[in-house]
Amino acid sequence: MRSVIFKAGARAVAPLLVLVSALLVVRGHNEPGGGFVGGLLCASAFALVALAEGVGAARRLLRIEPLRLVGIGLLVALGSAIPAAIAGFAPFTGLWVSLQLWDKASPVKLGTPLVFDLGVYLTVVGIALAMIFTLEESDDDAPAGL
Amino acid sequence: MALLALAVLVVLAVAAPFVQRAAPRRAGAILAAPILLLAAGFLAELPAVAGGTFASSSWPWIPDLGIAFALRVDGLALLFAILVCTVGPFSILHAGESLAGHPRLGRFQSTLLCFMAAMLGLVVADDLILLFAFWELTSFTSFLLIGFDRERADARRAALQALLVTGGGGLALLAGLLLLAIAAGTGSGPVFSVQGLLESEALREPAAWPLVGPAIVLVLAGCFAKSAMVPLHFWLPNAMEAPTPVSALLHSSTMVKAGVYLAARLSPALGGIALWDNLLLGFGAVTMLGAAFAASRHSQLKKILAYTTVSSLGLLMLLLGLGAAKAAAAYLLAHALFKGCLFYCAGILTEETHVKYAEKLSGLARLMPMTAVAAILGALSMAGAFPLFGFSGKELALKAELAAGSFGLPLVIATVVTAIFTVLAAVLAGIKPFVGAPPRLDEPSAESHADDRAAGPRDPAWPRLLGPLVLAGAGLVAGLAPGLFAKPMVMSTAASIAGSAVPESPLSALGLLWPPTLATALSIAALVLGIVLFALRGAWRRATDPIAAASAFGPDRRWNAALDGLMATGRLVATLLRGPTLTGAVRGALIAIVAIIGLAAWRAGPRPDLKEAAEGTTLLDGAVVAVLVISAIAAPMVGSRMGTIAVLGGAGAALAAVFLLYGAPDLSMTTIAVETLVVVIASLVAAQLPRIKTISGAAARIRDLGIAASFGLLVGWLALSVAGRSELKPVSDEHVLRSVPEAYGRNVVNVILVDFRALDTLGEIFVLGAAAVGVTAMLGTARRRGATP
Amino acid sequence: MTAMLPILVPLLAAALALALPGDRAPRLVLLATALFLPLVALLVMVRVHESGAIVVHVGGWAAPFGIAIVADRFASIMVMLAAIVGAATVLFSSGEAPDPRTDRARSTLILALLAAAAGAFLAGDLFNLYVWFELLLVSSFGLAVLEGRGNQLAGGIVYVVLSLLSSTLFLVGAGLCYGAVGTLNLADLGVRLAELGNPRLATVLASPLLIAFAIKAAVVPFVAWLPAAYPPLSSAIGALFAGLLTKVGVYAIIRTSTIAFVQEPEVIGFAILTAAGATMALGVLAAVSQAEIRRILSFHIASQIGYMLMGTGLALVIVATTPSESVRAELATIALGGAILYILHHIIVKTNLFLVAGLIERRRGTTELKALGGLAQSDPAIAAIFLISALSLAGLPVFSGFWAKLVLVRAGLDAGAWIVTGIALATGLLTLLSMMKIWVEAFWREPVAAAPPPREPGPGWRPMLAASGALAAIALAIGLGARPAWWLARGAAEDMLARDAAAARVLEGGPETPTGERREPRAPDPEEPRR
Repeated sequence: MRSVIFKAGARAVAPLLVLVSALLVVRGHNEPGGGFVGGLLCASAFALVALAEGVGAARRLLRIEPLRLVGIGLLVALGSAIPAAIAGFAPFTGLWVSLQLWDKASPVKLGTPLVFDLGVYLTVVGIALAMIFTLEESDDDAPAGL
Repeated sequence: MALLALAVLVVLAVAAPFVQRAAPRRAGAILAAPILLLAAGFLAELPAVAGGTFASSSWPWIPDLGIAFALRVDGLALLFAILVCTVGPFSILHAGESLAGHPRLGRFQSTLLCFMAAMLGLVVADDLILLFAFWELTSFTSFLLIGFDRERADARRAALQALLVTGGGGLALLAGLLLLAIAAGTGSGPVFSVQGLLESEALREPAAWPLVGPAIVLVLAGCFAKSAMVPLHFWLPNAMEAPTPVSALLHSSTMVKAGVYLAARLSPALGGIALWDNLLLGFGAVTMLGAAFAASRHSQLKKILAYTTVSSLGLLMLLLGLGAAKAAAAYLLAHALFKGCLFYCAGILTEETHVKYAEKLSGLARLMPMTAVAAILGALSMAGAFPLFGFSGKELALKAELAAGSFGLPLVIATVVTAIFTVLAAVLAGIKPFVGAPPRLDEPSAESHADDRAAGPRDPAWPRLLGPLVLAGAGLVAGLAPGLFAKPMVMSTAASIAGSAVPESPLSALGLLWPPTLATALSIAALVLGIVLFALRGAWRRATDPIAAASAFGPDRRWNAALDGLMATGRLVATLLRGPTLTGAVRGALIAIVAIIGLAAWRAGPRPDLKEAAEGTTLLDGAVVAVLVISAIAAPMVGSRMGTIAVLGGAGAALAAVFLLYGAPDLSMTTIAVETLVVVIASLVAAQLPRIKTISGAAARIRDLGIAASFGLLVGWLALSVAGRSELKPVSDEHVLRSVPEAYGRNVVNVILVDFRALDTLGEIFVLGAAAVGVTAMLGTARRRGATP
Repeated sequence: MTAMLPILVPLLAAALALALPGDRAPRLVLLATALFLPLVALLVMVRVHESGAIVVHVGGWAAPFGIAIVADRFASIMVMLAAIVGAATVLFSSGEAPDPRTDRARSTLILALLAAAAGAFLAGDLFNLYVWFELLLVSSFGLAVLEGRGNQLAGGIVYVVLSLLSSTLFLVGAGLCYGAVGTLNLADLGVRLAELGNPRLATVLASPLLIAFAIKAAVVPFVAWLPAAYPPLSSAIGALFAGLLTKVGVYAIIRTSTIAFVQEPEVIGFAILTAAGATMALGVLAAVSQAEIRRILSFHIASQIGYMLMGTGLALVIVATTPSESVRAELATIALGGAILYILHHIIVKTNLFLVAGLIERRRGTTELKALGGLAQSDPAIAAIFLISALSLAGLPVFSGFWAKLVLVRAGLDAGAWIVTGIALATGLLTLLSMMKIWVEAFWREPVAAAPPPREPGPGWRPMLAASGALAAIALAIGLGARPAWWLARGAAEDMLARDAAAARVLEGGPETPTGERREPRAPDPEEPRR
């Protein structure tokens, strides 16, 4: 299964998938997409690497324990409630800033809901990878036919 | 005074273990002395109470529910308070001697003091709930005390039995008291005040009968269980497993009289109602006679006393049913004095000789003269011999029955027969051990201990002797000169029972003996016949063996069977509730679900508008639905796990198509991603699982198909029926309208997820996170287990 | 904001427990948070009792359009109870030896469970409630698996399968409700179902949801999971579950049947009363026959759920059938107050009994009655704690259970519900029997000859005993000072029965937003197209 071609292909496709997943998150508020789908796509990139080069390689590539990534994602999502709370509004009330990047461009609106979506993204990546890595590892360890 | 007494008892109960540890030899006296002072304090209140002035006090407890911590000391309460505070310390003193050196003596004294506080509280409580609380506390402390010798299985069994019988009665009592309170309140909230209840006119209104009738039955059930009326009497003889101080205090003079107390307490309100009177008369008479008969056949000291106690309780109930307040009051006092005395004496006898059976004892008067004096006086009083107070009590009882007219006659006969048996029991338990040939001490008895035999039986020291002597003396004084204390006690108690002052009449033994009446003659006849029966007791026991064997005097024997039956039923129920197997449990739940929702749907009878539902359906819709249906049917048919996973993946894809068709590309995308991931993970898992061998038989599969299909059809039917029933706009319309202008996002689905319903999403990502943590942990532990077999 | 703290604080802690480096961090985060939560709950409780129910429109979106978090008196009591149970069980488990391999997962899951319980109590929205139910299920199953001993998985599977069935029904019910009247907000659901003008249909809509809650609450005939899932659990986790899980189901039944599904109270009330009677009677019968302490206690949970349902059912029937308005309000409040008082007492006491089982296990290595004995002699502290809790459970005066039982029986008799009241009383007696069976066998009797000698309690014994002792003290306080406990329960019942006021509170008055305007809920406009 771990043929050279597959390895090379995975190495090539994985960054692309991560990029696309990021795009999905960014545009999710207006076009189809969002943190959830994005997260799944990003996870599949690492899953591909895991399939191609083994879980160890995928873990090294990720650099962070997936469950800790879940924790960080959850913290980011929870953190998006804080600005509103500090400003005295109900938690999770959207606070927006309008950025005029250059003169003629339409203003880009950035808000706490986007931060929330980012948290969702990170969490989903962590969750999917935590499960896949663990399952594949147990696959390797367990004697066949158990 | 009442509150002070309660406080003192509670403080003593807390202090008892420490006192016992600090001064092991004098602890009994230290604990008993303050209580005797309390008794004196209560006695000092007697003139005032006899004059009709009652001390009462009340503090709010749970005012929202109308429950108060209210105390009131009238004649009836005072009689019991004095009994508790005199017999109680004697028990403490006795225990201090007889249990000296026992490692749990401190805790025993503490429990005994707790009981005394509870009993005192019970009689002075002027609030039904407070009364009930103390009532249950007496049951529970009795449980602890009966089970004091907890290493013995008999003691544990007797304790549990007493608790369950009196506790069960307690629950009936609670319901009864609440019903009375509700009836007395006539719709404006229950009346929990005892005085308020007694003064209420509403209880005798015909309109209240639907509440009062059941209330009478329930309250009396509670009283009868507590006071050991047949057929709930069996726990009391068994309770003799308890040490002597407990038997004397709880199971003769105070706790078992709680039922009598409550019946007496409620008499002003309920006396005269036919149901109330007849229940008291019927159960009282049967108990009186039956228990006396049983007593006549026993020869174990404590059992004799226990059965005669049951019999006396029956007589008291009977007298209350007759409305004979004065006779009841007098006999109550007399019985407490002589029975307490006899229990202490019996305890001393057993402790000194290690013999439990009266037949084996004789001639002890010379060895233990003081005990003999007390026991003989007590026995004479119990037998109703002139001039002791027991004589007065029995005379008054017979007089009251004779005055009751035609239906009094069977009662009189029963009472006389009971008196004959009682004389036999009294002579056997209180006189026989002390007269006749001296015991042959050289003959080793099976029950004696080698080291004690050398010393031989002798009078105990004053702590154990004080109680019986004082009680016996009081019985003598009360009979000869009732004016000293007995008369005011009896008259004020009778006034409480009757609800108003009772007319004066002679109370002294002499006053009742002369001029002689029919009652006097009957009393003397009973005494003579009783002595004759004592002489012939061997023949009597043999003659009555068949009756005893045939009579159903064996609820006790059925107790074990009943408990076993309860356990067996319980195990059956447990199996039923757990479900025989996992699938059985799930199947049962599903059937119940379909039945309940089906019933609700059948009541409402919703009809789906199929025509409207079918409107605008395209061929593509149909195709997608077909894929869904086929994969649903195929999933359980496929023989392998991988196949099932693949088919379910197909169903997922079809679902994604549905979302796409109805304009939710986001959902569709997510569904596909999730389904893909699920298929991958499920395949990884399935690869490690063993092959499916057999699933289930054809019949089982058809049955399960039926259950599954009916569930699915029901839900589908409902979905079609209720959708769009109202003209109300769904809130999702609002979501669409507000998405761009207020939430700055054109993708409504995403805006819903991260803004409108962000909290749901937050919860869901935590759900997923928890699942990931759980799965990782599960595989981790599984692997660890695999690694270290 | 305040009202959301009981959810957000443990969630934050759970995320931290996952994210922070270091083996000891999760345990510390867990202990600190669990001990802090009662203070948070107290803050909410004080606020609610000072100035009335708090409604938070999450995200600044007015109900029924957005999600509403509602902290009324009932919810605030439940949040407090959950916090107390959490603090006690976590303190208890801090006496267990650390295990770096599972501590992180365990801490995270316990915190998630506490957040989920608080969320379920505070949710004012059907789907939001569903989410918290899911979190409760997943974290509890994770914890059960983590304990990983003996026949854990077998018991766990029954729990998971029936819980998934419950979730399915919950989703079906929520979907049907939304399909019928287009809202998920509980208060709005009540309003719109009334506008539907078809009470029987409203009951149909209620039935899947009430059954879903009944499965969670282990009501007959859905109890199978409870005796399978609890007994194998370790003491602290078992106590946490015993205290919280089923009560969330009961709470949801009370909440929805008083604010959302109010069209046919007599029908729903009667159904609940029937289930209550069956649950009380069968549960206690099963409990009496068991011979292992945790199994006895597990069946008692079911039995006592029956009491809570009895008060609820009585209140509903009284609301529907009592003619006089003043009597009706008073009596219904007493019945529901009785149910709430029962919950209050039960959570504390039942948690503690499971902790006591843990203490016994620590000392003797078993909780099988036939292998125990002599505990009264060897461990007087355990004996005292057990006796207080057992007598409370059996409802002996003046322990905490007595007052709850008293109020319920009084309401039952006043309402003429003879059968269920009789069952309630008989159940009390059998409860006493089974508690005293434990007492007689494990505490009084001499230890059997073959029994191993008591073990040394070892390190960590003190926090364990402290946790259990604290709960016993609370139970004792509820019993002796019945007045404040009844005041709380009654107030909560009043909030629940004043439905119109409760609905108005949630639906009127939009939240403030950053743009300075208030987002009021818009009146439905029939002219606008549906799609």
